[in-house]
Parts: sequence; C-alpha cells; structure tokens
Amino acid sequence: MSRPRSPVGAAAYWLSPPLVCLALHWHDFHAWFRADDFAWLGLTNGISSWRALFSALFLPLAEGTIRPWSERAFFMAGYSLFGLDALPYRIVIFATQFASLIPMAWIGRRLTGSAAAGWLATLFWMANSSTSIPLGWASAYNQVQCGLFLLAAFALFLRYLETGRRGYWIAQWVVFVLGFGALELMIVYPAVAAAYALLCAPRYFRRALAMAPVSVAYFLIHRWAAPPIASGDYAMHFSPASLLGTLFQYWTWSVGPVYLRLSYGTPAWLLEALIALVSIALAAFAVNRWRAGHRAAAFCLAWFVLVIAPVLPLRDHVTEYYPYLPVVGLCWLGSWAVVNAWRGKLALKSAGCAAAAAYLFMVAPQMRASSGWNYRLTVRARNLVEGLAGAHQLHPGQQLVLDGVDSDLFWHVIRDHVSYLLGMQHLYITPESAAHIEVHRDIGDVGEFLVSGGVLAENLADGGALVYDVRNPRLRNITMLYASQPHSRDLPLRIDLSDPLIAKLLSPDWYPIEVDHRWMPARASVTMSGPPKSGMALYLNGSVTSQQLAAGPVTLKVAVEGVDLGIVSIGANDFECRFSLPDSLVGKPQVIVDLSVSRIYHPPGDCRELGTSFGLMAIR
Amino acid sequence: MRLSISILPRRLTVVLVLAAALASPGCKRDQKVQVQPTVEEEDVPRLASAVPMNNAKLEPQLVSGFYSIENGSWRWTAKQFSVLLRSPATAAQRGAVLSFEFSVPDPVIRKLHAVTLKASVEGKPLTPETYTKSGPYTFKRDIPASSIAGESVRIDFALDKAMPPAGGDRRELGVVASSVALSPK
Repeated sequence: MSRPRSPVGAAAYWLSPPLVCLALHWHDFHAWFRADDFAWLGLTNGISSWRALFSALFLPLAEGTIRPWSERAFFMAGYSLFGLDALPYRIVIFATQFASLIPMAWIGRRLTGSAAAGWLATLFWMANSSTSIPLGWASAYNQVQCGLFLLAAFALFLRYLETGRRGYWIAQWVVFVLGFGALELMIVYPAVAAAYALLCAPRYFRRALAMAPVSVAYFLIHRWAAPPIASGDYAMHFSPASLLGTLFQYWTWSVGPVYLRLSYGTPAWLLEALIALVSIALAAFAVNRWRAGHRAAAFCLAWFVLVIAPVLPLRDHVTEYYPYLPVVGLCWLGSWAVVNAWRGKLALKSAGCAAAAAYLFMVAPQMRASSGWNYRLTVRARNLVEGLAGAHQLHPGQQLVLDGVDSDLFWHVIRDHVSYLLGMQHLYITPESAAHIEVHRDIGDVGEFLVSGGVLAENLADGGALVYDVRNPRLRNITMLYASQPHSRDLPLRIDLSDPLIAKLLSPDWYPIEVDHRWMPARASVTMSGPPKSGMALYLNGSVTSQQLAAGPVTLKVAVEGVDLGIVSIGANDFECRFSLPDSLVGKPQVIVDLSVSRIYHPPGDCRELGTSFGLMAIR
Repeated sequence: MRLSISILPRRLTVVLVLAAALASPGCKRDQKVQVQPTVEEEDVPRLASAVPMNNAKLEPQLVSGFYSIENGSWRWTAKQFSVLLRSPATAAQRGAVLSFEFSVPDPVIRKLHAVTLKASVEGKPLTPETYTKSGPYTFKRDIPASSIAGESVRIDFALDKAMPPAGGDRRELGVVASSVALSPK
C-alpha cells in the first residue's frame, strides 16, 4: 500500500482535501440561514423546563425525525450562543466535513491499496453536486454529521479487522450507536459492515451482523414514535419498478449532476452520453477488479446501494442531497479506477482521464451553481430578516406588511415564521405579493400571512400597519406611497381571530387576543367577505370550557346576514364545524356572521362571561 | 419541576454540553440578530412623473414586472409590467402624454419574430403597437383627462409574447425598458 513518505508529503496529503473543500464550497462557507433553519432556531424559544428541553431534544418532529445532535442540539446551542450569526454554525459544519475527509481518505486507501486513490476520492466527493446543500444549508447538517459517524464507524471496523484489538470494536459500537442521534440513515451501518465482511473478510460476517438488532430495534422504536405517512410526498412506495426507478434516478444524480442540469448550454444528449460513459467505466472497472479477486470494488457499489436504500421508497420526495453519502462508495471506486488506469498504457491512461474529466465536467459546475444559488438566497434572507429587525426596532407597536415578496423570499424565509425570532407575533404580505407567490399546498399556506386589501387599507389609515418594500437589499418604508395607490378593498375570506389587524371586523363584544384565539361572550359577530362562488361553506374552529360542558352539550347558533345557517351541538372542548352558505350570499363584498352560544361560564376572579373561543373562521 | 428562566442557563451549562442551548430564554432578543437600517419614508422623494429605470430610489413606483437594474441604466421587463406615475399638474383638465422608452432586443425578435405592446391607464386601454424589428422605440400615447382622476396614475403594460425562462435564467423576459414618463399636454 503506497503512502506519503515525508512529513511534508503527509501534511499535504491530509490537509489538501479540506483546503480543496473550502475552495470549492467557499459560497457554502459564507451562506446564511434559510427555510427550515428558522424553525429549528426557534425551538429554543419554547423551552422553560427540563421536560420542555427533553421534548425539544428527543421527541419526533418534522416528518417524525429524531436527530438530537445534528438538528436539535446544533441549532439550540448555536442560537443560544451566537444568535443569527451564521459563521459559528458554518465552522461547525465545515469542521465536521473536514473530519469526515480523514476516514474517507483512509478507508479509500485501505480499500484500493492506493494512497493516491484515497486522496482523489475525497476530491471527487467534494466536487459532487450533491454536496453543496449539506454544506451550504444548516438544516442539512444532519447529512454531514451522519457522514462523520458512518465513515468513522467503518474506519474503526476496518482497524479492528486489521489489528484484532477489541478497543476498535467497542469504539466502533459507540460511534455506531451515537450516529443515530445524527440521522436515521445510520440504520444501514450494520449492513455496510456486513457487506464488507462478506466480500472481503468472511470470517467477520456474523460478527458484523451482530449490530443488526440495534438497527432493527431503532427501526421499530422510530416506527412506533413516528408512524409512516400514508399519503403525500413522504408516502412510501415499495413496488420493484418504483424502487429501481428511484435508484436509477439517484445513480444518474451521483455520476452526473443533480437534477441532470448541465451548464454551458450543453445539449441533453451529451449529458446522457457522459453519464453512460462514467457508468460504463465504473461498471467495467468493478468487473475487472472482481475477476482479479479484488472484492472491495463490489463493496464500493454495495456502499452506494445500501446507503441510498432507505430513501428509495420515497419516490415522490427525491432530494438533491440524498446522494451525498451514498456517492462516497462511487468516489472510492472511481478514484481507484483512475489511479489504476494511470498506471496502465497510454490508451488506458487516456480512458481513465477522460472518464474523470467527464465526471468533473458534469458535477463541478452544477455544484458551484447550486452553492451560488443557495448563497444568494441566504443573502436575501439575511437582508430581509435584519431589515425586519430594524423596522421592528423603529416601529415596535405597528404591524409590518411586506410588499414585493416573491416565491423565494416567502418559501425560504417568511413561511417558517422568522418573525418569532425577532419577537414579532405577526408578519404580513400584501395581496399584490401573494398573487405572485407560487402555491405549494403541501408545505404551507400563503393565506396564513396574507392581509386582505380592505383590512390593510383600514390599518394604514389609522397607523396600525406599515408597508415595507422588500425588493431591494435595504427594506424601504413605502406606507404612504402604497396607501396612495389604488388597491382592492376586499375583505378576507379567512379570519384569524388572533390577528390584531382584523380587530375592526369584530363586533365590540369580543375580548382581547389570547395567544392564538379570542373569547366572545354569549353573542358576537364578525364581518367578512361573502363567498365568491356557490357551493362554499363557513368553517369555524373553536373551543368551550369544561365547565360549560358539565351540564351537557352547548349549542352554537350561526346566522349570516340574518339567514340562519343552523345550530350545532358541542360536546367536546375543541370543535370544528361547517355550515353551507346559501347562494344568495354569493358575490356580496361583505357579510356579517352572527354567533350565539347557549351557555356561558364566569371564571372565578374574572369579570368576563365566556361563551366560545375561536381561532379561525374561513369561507372555502 | 418548572425552572425559572433566569436560572435555567447556568444549570444546563453545568449539566449538558449543549448547555448554552438553553441560555437564550435569559438573553435579550435584540442580541440575537444584527439590525439593518431601513429606508424610511422621509428619505424617499415624492411620487415622480418620470421614472428613469436607473433611479433605484423610484423603484417603489415600479409596481410589478420590472427586474433589477442592469448596466446601471436599464431593466428587463416581464410579459406584464406596471408602473405608478404622478399626474402632471394640468392632467386632470388637459390630459397628459405617456412616453415609454424601451428597446426590443435582437434575441427577442429572432425568437418571437414580433411583439405587440398593449397598455392601459387605470384599466382603460390605449392603442397597441406591434414591433417586428429590434431596436430602440418610444411608445407614445395621449391620455385623455377623463382617465386621470387622482394624484397618481397606474399604467399597466402587457406584451403578447415574452421569452420564456431559459438556461440558468428563471426570468420571463419581455423588452428592455429605459424610462417611462407622463408629461403635460
């Protein structure tokens, strides 16, 4: 096995991959926050007890994920210590990646018998287009951290096979188990170790399999804590055709660019040809090695298949960074092939260089483009968030309405309630902005942030709201300009009772906002838009007290514009009810909804009479 | 047991490595984010009758459909674009003249062959014009006094065709705008 001989050579060998990583991912190193980052950063705000800390660290969140080290602790500790200063987070992310490059090169050297191949594998990995998001987006840090656990555990396993020292075996176990705190993907590790043992060290096969019960137990616990989702993007599809189709897609995104995007205006046929060239080169080399008795080449392919396997059932949620860890196996194989070819005759040398050049030609520009896209988006996010902080500091008592919000700003900043991090309960977008935002009902509702033209006009007139233009890096107060323009005066079809801007639509009977709802006494009314078309209904989300229910169900009577819609019997604290709206209301610019409840409750020490509390009313 | 917010960080610092994770409840919110100054209205000039595309301060008058300034002088438009202009002093009595200076770039003509520009003032349409050759143009129209009621006028432009997003550019591209203005008759 070749290895660098001089201390300088050794230093260059181990230090150059991190430096190349930093150079290639310079934009990622300078990226700020976006999207889910704000929700994770906000986790810290709700913690006021040990129980809340435990819940925040270990209870399933976001599609049932449990990632205490890579998400919860990472963001909570980061936010507590550094707030929204992104540099410390980026240092942690890149330090983890640098640390991963060490076992990556070391394992590569062991698998291929070539120090050059181990080194080259790290470069192939860092150039791969699936690496930009894990390194550039803090919410994908789980991938980076899991990579370190996975590679470190496997390196310790190899070390154990080489030396027979029990300490490596125990250390591998510790790293393996801790890895579950980074990402569920760690579940594949026993299969990875067993695959290596089966191919290259058969007498350790059963020993490697001994780790499988831990993965099975984790799988069962995770399944119990977060049952699989039956529909939507996260639904799982297990038909062979679906699994193979997704595997093929990830293969092309691994040996070629993610999303199969090629820069330089290169035609699609060339991309397909280059992917085929790299794929054939890898397959031919693996077969060649197998025939020569080097089973480690097959292991490299097994690494790819095993590590990508857990996401193959997610047919409708293919994600650009999922190949980030699986592609490590292909990088070992590819670098091995190139080094092997380099030692051959001119034709072989040329073929190896051509395949490597084809790979880099496909993946590196896309990696750079993806990094640039992410960086620019996070810069926009930073300008918006820091500008909002400035606006809120200047006008703490007024609600801020944003104009000029586009899809990127909405879905990568506003949707994740970044306002909570700034101490603002509400943040709004103008109807003109909302009209230009792409709809993604599966991930969020633009309507949650939309202020209707009629409500906005009222609040601009009395100074309750300010409009800021967010089209430029510096937020611009355009309240007077906006107010001078003609706008729709529509009333809302959706009323959030905790929204301070809609106060004028409520009759005076309503009590003040309580977090996410308002109480009304026995009777109250709300003004809203009439249904724009027939067949629509009024939906009410509310609750009553247990004391009201003690004497039996409470009845709620609803009338719109004097037309009785019906009476519902409420038998539980929380309720949701639906009332069909008559066609006579269609097209009315405003309707008055009258609500009356049959039983009220006087809380001790509280002068209010509580009828019903409402969170949301909507016509849809 | 509930812990008071003020003592929580210290305890956790001792007990956990992620200690400071909980320090935030005791921290002031304004320490967590850098504050960027905003441009407030007193800094902004009043509504202008003429909007050169290179004047970033007048950008709020570009209601929709205009992209960023390029080369310090012009902006691409989308297929539909709107602008808000101050009415000239005598416009309510005599009407005004709308002048939109723009260029039809060569790639647009090569791809689309011809583009027709329509405009409406406060919803009332003006006579459209079709351009079949690349080059600079001025779309000039008289606007009757009856169309100008208030202090400001909204002009909505629409092209019949635009270049769809291509390559890495996700923008829909119409024409290259230089300025738009309302002048007294």
